[in-house]
Amino acid sequence: MTRALTWIGLALFLLLILVPFWWIASMSFKTYEQIQFATSIYVPRPFTWENYTGLWTETRFPLWLRNSVVTALVVTLITTVVASLGGYAVARLRFPGREGVASLILILYLIPPALLFIPLYRVLAELGATNHLAALFLSYPTFTVPFCTWLLIGFFKALPEELEEAALIDGAGRVTAFARVLLPLAAPGLVASAIFAFTLSWNEFLYALVFIQDETRITVPVGLNLLIYGDVFHWGQLMAASVITTIPVVALYVFIHRWMTEGLVAGSVKG
Amino acid sequence: MSHRRLSRRAVIAGALGTTAALSLPRLGFPQIKKGTSLRMWILKTYVEPTNKAIEASAQRWAQKHGASVTVEYFTFEDMQTKYVAAIESKSTPDVGQLETGAPARFAGMGQLLDLSGFAKQIDSQSGKAPANVAPVTTLDGKTYSIPWYVMGAFWYVWRDAFDKAKVKLPSTFAEAKEAAQALTRPKDNFYGMGQSWNRTADGYGVMQSLMYSYGVGWAGKDGKYKSIKTPAMQTAMKWATDIYKDNLQPADTLTWTGSGNNENFIAKNIAQTSNGPSITFALENALAKATDAKDKKMKEEALANHVALPHLAGPDGRRMQAIAMSMGVFKGSKDPEAAMSLIAHLVSPEETVMVMKDSYGQFAPVLEKAKAASKDYFNKNDNYRTFGRAAEWFAPTGWPGHVTAAAAEVQASNVLTDAPAKVIVDKWSVDQAIEWEDKKIKEIYDTLKG
Amino acid sequence: MSSRPRRRFGARSRETGTALLFLLPLFVLVVGLIFYPFYRAVWLSLTDKLVGYPERFVGLRNYIYVANDDAFHQVVWNSLVFTVVSVALKVVTGLAMALVLSGVIRGRNFFRGLFLLPWITSTVIIALTWRWMFDAFPGRGFLNSFLLDLGLLSQPIAFMATPAGAMAAVIIANWWRAFPFFGVSFLAGMASIPRELYEAASVDGAGANRRFWHITLPGLKHVMIVTTLLSFILTINDFNIIYVMTRGGPGSATQVFSTYAYQVAFGQLRWGRGVTISIFVVPLLVIGIILISRYLLRDRR
Repeated sequence: MTRALTWIGLALFLLLILVPFWWIASMSFKTYEQIQFATSIYVPRPFTWENYTGLWTETRFPLWLRNSVVTALVVTLITTVVASLGGYAVARLRFPGREGVASLILILYLIPPALLFIPLYRVLAELGATNHLAALFLSYPTFTVPFCTWLLIGFFKALPEELEEAALIDGAGRVTAFARVLLPLAAPGLVASAIFAFTLSWNEFLYALVFIQDETRITVPVGLNLLIYGDVFHWGQLMAASVITTIPVVALYVFIHRWMTEGLVAGSVKG
Repeated sequence: MSHRRLSRRAVIAGALGTTAALSLPRLGFPQIKKGTSLRMWILKTYVEPTNKAIEASAQRWAQKHGASVTVEYFTFEDMQTKYVAAIESKSTPDVGQLETGAPARFAGMGQLLDLSGFAKQIDSQSGKAPANVAPVTTLDGKTYSIPWYVMGAFWYVWRDAFDKAKVKLPSTFAEAKEAAQALTRPKDNFYGMGQSWNRTADGYGVMQSLMYSYGVGWAGKDGKYKSIKTPAMQTAMKWATDIYKDNLQPADTLTWTGSGNNENFIAKNIAQTSNGPSITFALENALAKATDAKDKKMKEEALANHVALPHLAGPDGRRMQAIAMSMGVFKGSKDPEAAMSLIAHLVSPEETVMVMKDSYGQFAPVLEKAKAASKDYFNKNDNYRTFGRAAEWFAPTGWPGHVTAAAAEVQASNVLTDAPAKVIVDKWSVDQAIEWEDKKIKEIYDTLKG
Repeated sequence: MSSRPRRRFGARSRETGTALLFLLPLFVLVVGLIFYPFYRAVWLSLTDKLVGYPERFVGLRNYIYVANDDAFHQVVWNSLVFTVVSVALKVVTGLAMALVLSGVIRGRNFFRGLFLLPWITSTVIIALTWRWMFDAFPGRGFLNSFLLDLGLLSQPIAFMATPAGAMAAVIIANWWRAFPFFGVSFLAGMASIPRELYEAASVDGAGANRRFWHITLPGLKHVMIVTTLLSFILTINDFNIIYVMTRGGPGSATQVFSTYAYQVAFGQLRWGRGVTISIFVVPLLVIGIILISRYLLRDRR
């Protein structure tokens, strides 16, 4: 790649990726009139915070934000526990059918929510969990756990076994070896897995849409969808909400982007 | 909290018992136990003050009886899914506000309490509903909900645009189309009409108004399926598709969301559109928020120039499909008597008028006494006088039959607006579209139980 | 390391017990919330379940209805067009991105991270963003504003008002979101191609073009296949982007499997039929999963 081509390509990709984000952000600082009458398209003039304050005081956005945060935290907790336990078993323990379990975990990740959402709805309705965040606590792990388990298997396998073996020889049980020896070593991996679980949970839409109806109990993605198809005179607020929703994920992402290649494509590159 | 479904016997016995108890004439309503707690679902409209007013009315009842009411909202968009969810998870509210098709649908599922006896008491307290509204609330001769108000749809026009082009204000669909032709100026980005066949009330509601005004109904007076393959339907479908084919509307009209026509009308991109009173509300609101003298003048002019005409008429009459709101009691309610007391309170003339005063005209009471009491409010100006007449032109879903579960599903299945879309987008012929629509409707009637 | 036990005693069976313990939460989750609903789904598809009414067994009636439904035929076509075009675009753009980034030495990590922004953003927000990019209302629609300003347009274009336009719009949103994933994967794949191959080829007088076609592409074959299959599976089941951008419209121009199933199940309240629509995707899924598993697990020990 000649240098010139590289720089042109870089510039084009930068534009392609950043322009849509900038469009939303800039609209979030425009007044309703400015958007409605298409004045001063590219730069917000006057620059205003009213959409952000309005979002907070006039809509249910704060509630939705709370719901999203609570859901993401609870699901991350559940996921990390289940995934690290299961991942350890596949990575370290020898038992019949181990390869089968590894394959199964991958396959589970590929089952689309679009297939399960109707029967899952019935099951959750029978448990009385619909229209409560509990429905999400139960259903989100169905896609976060397989993915995070797969991720952690890779992490655990990359850690040296000697320390655990030493512990085992000293008479410690597998559980102690897991908890006292491996986990501290695997901390970076656990953090990555937790952040993935948080992000997957934060961005999820279909289950949140179908399982919860009460406007005070929905999560942010569902709330945004509601705003656009409902009383839509608050375009600026909708943009502001989009900006606010994206920030946590981007912030967390700074920590894990190193692992995006390694973890995300776990195995597909290394074969 | 889920509980095993009661045996059919138990449910029927309970319903019969309750009905029997209620049909005995009573002088007043029974004492409500202190501390009774009820859940009520109401529609969240675009006009926030109305929603708050209804809640306030419910709280007044709660205060009077030392009880408590929790109000939860559903929107036009999630009406279906919310009630569906509640039915399947057995978490229906005690009192539910029901839109036009809902009493038939839910009663058909056995979810609503028979309120025939209770309805008679309401008759004496608040007056009867007019004959054209009653079919919404009854199924097989029994009454399942108490009608409260009609949210009418009206034909909004910009009078100044009409005056300037020397075009008469339209009274019929044919006139509206002619006017649109005279008013459209694509170069100035100004179009004569904005009617979207989208999957909202602005779409399927107007399509029904169109059909019914041309005398076309997919069900007969007996509520059974009737073919729509008639010359009148041809004319109606042609109207619906010509306004697109002749470029009388903005290019993206078909993809508008529910408020797309509001926005375009207020921005003066279109000269005519069908809508509920929320456009007037938006303009009144904008005036109240005017920033300076110039802005104020502009908004005053807008308010003065916009006219809400009675919804368009066809050769067979002036029929307006609209949302008729009624209140029902769900069988799962633990305290049906309290629920009924709450309903009686809400639909009483005094309370109704209080709510209506905060409704910016979208709330046209149907029960006689409340209607009489609201005359002064609607006398405010021409637009409001038109709003107040909404119940006159009301035609229920499934006209000329009464509302049935099948009729409600026809509306919910989007076939009414998908048909013109096929002509406009997929370039089908009008005949093909009507044939397809007729087939789909027949299918629904054939496969639906009850 | 073979996992086939030759004798069951001592360490092996003790480990099996521990393994079961560690795997228990996973199994409970999987069986209770994935297998059981899946089994219920299959059962539901054989009934005429309508919300509010008890269901009745009707055998294959739903399947026959759906297979003959012309709306469903359009859904299948839309889903395939959406998926194939989108994935193809992603592969090409991903390659371009990987090539560009591989030429950047200083700050490569920074740019790689930056370019992944669309991938980590919520798809609902991406759908809303692109809805506005294509909006016909100049105040909201970036493309229309931009083209109007440049004088290339005299009237705003309603991009999403035609079937082709709407399909293009949702494809673009889906592509924009996902191509960085391809780019990053390919970049990592390129890094694992031995330098010697390139050096040898240069010595032999091969130009950049030939090196690309004969070394880079073959070297990326494994990554490309896995990423493409993965993306195919995820894209054909996409709900969020299409639902938020067009709701499947105009008409049914962008209706795909998941949005149609949703409409039938929650709009028309016919759950039996709704589930059946979802189940029609299963054969495609199974093929995709088998292929991926074979590639992903092939060299694993």
